[in-house]
Amino acid sequence: MFGKLKKFLTGLFGKKDQIKLGIYGPPNTGKTTLANRISKEFTGEELGSVSEVPHETREVKKKEKVSMQSDGKEISMNLLDMPGISTKVDYKEFVEHGIDEEEAKVRSKEATKGVVEAIKWLDKVDAVMVVFDSAEDPYTQVNVTILGNLEAKDIPIILVANKIDLDDSEPESIKDAFPQYNFAKISAKENENMGELYKKIIECV
Amino acid sequence: MAKKKKNGVKIEFLSQVRLQKKAFEEKLNLIMDSVKDENILVLEEALSAEEKAQLIEKSMEECDEDFPGIEFSGFDSRENLLDRVIAGLTGRERKDGLLIVGSSDIMEKVKEDKDAISMIAKLE
Repeated sequence: MFGKLKKFLTGLFGKKDQIKLGIYGPPNTGKTTLANRISKEFTGEELGSVSEVPHETREVKKKEKVSMQSDGKEISMNLLDMPGISTKVDYKEFVEHGIDEEEAKVRSKEATKGVVEAIKWLDKVDAVMVVFDSAEDPYTQVNVTILGNLEAKDIPIILVANKIDLDDSEPESIKDAFPQYNFAKISAKENENMGELYKKIIECV
Repeated sequence: MAKKKKNGVKIEFLSQVRLQKKAFEEKLNLIMDSVKDENILVLEEALSAEEKAQLIEKSMEECDEDFPGIEFSGFDSRENLLDRVIAGLTGRERKDGLLIVGSSDIMEKVKEDKDAISMIAKLE
């Protein structure tokens, strides 16, 4: 209810210059790959580095004034690539990926701060893409928590089923788990179905 | 300091009656104290999405080399419109549901659905 009121008052007393579009999800769902794909397409520059090691993005990365066009429509936004939200960060997991123990402990600390920062940003975004790995089980408490918080704040949501290029991907299971939201299935890595996602973003935002 | 080895996992159940008397901050501290003591806690109530976000934040703030965070699962309250109207009028939120929470060191989720959960308690 407060979200709706805030939106109404914003509409009455001021216009936002830039829409803040957040990219949320658990670690390793391809959020930065997606952010890079969008940023490269509409600004010519990438946003952050990607890695197989979880929690590669440990602070919020921002690309300002991204002008997205699709079907003759255009929106201008700040694209925000969030650290992956997780309930656990174990430095031993980084060590298993070949990272030195001391460095792993530092990364681990940074990753926990990143999760807290991403949660705090839930209050400041105007619209969100929640990114799923289509080959993973979508019904997790992290996803339920992200979606529940956005819904309570009345923030528009697009579910993005990423990694549909994988053999074991099941994007429809995401739609089945959360049927009430806007939905797009893509492969950010392989540049598959991105046009469909851009349309959804412009419609939704 | 090395952790003392335990022979099993203690599971604590807390009833809704017991929990109703506590403010959320108290519940949060109770959960964190219990899971850091390597217990699995079962609460006879659901947390709201905002409360779950606070639980994740708190567990991240307390993460260190000995405590890698938490695993949690549960069944959320299935309140209908009438429940929400009553909650709005009375100022009392319905919390029907269930929450299972433990340190990720000892609790591992196998499968979670809206109406079924399976977990493994790890004995090292």
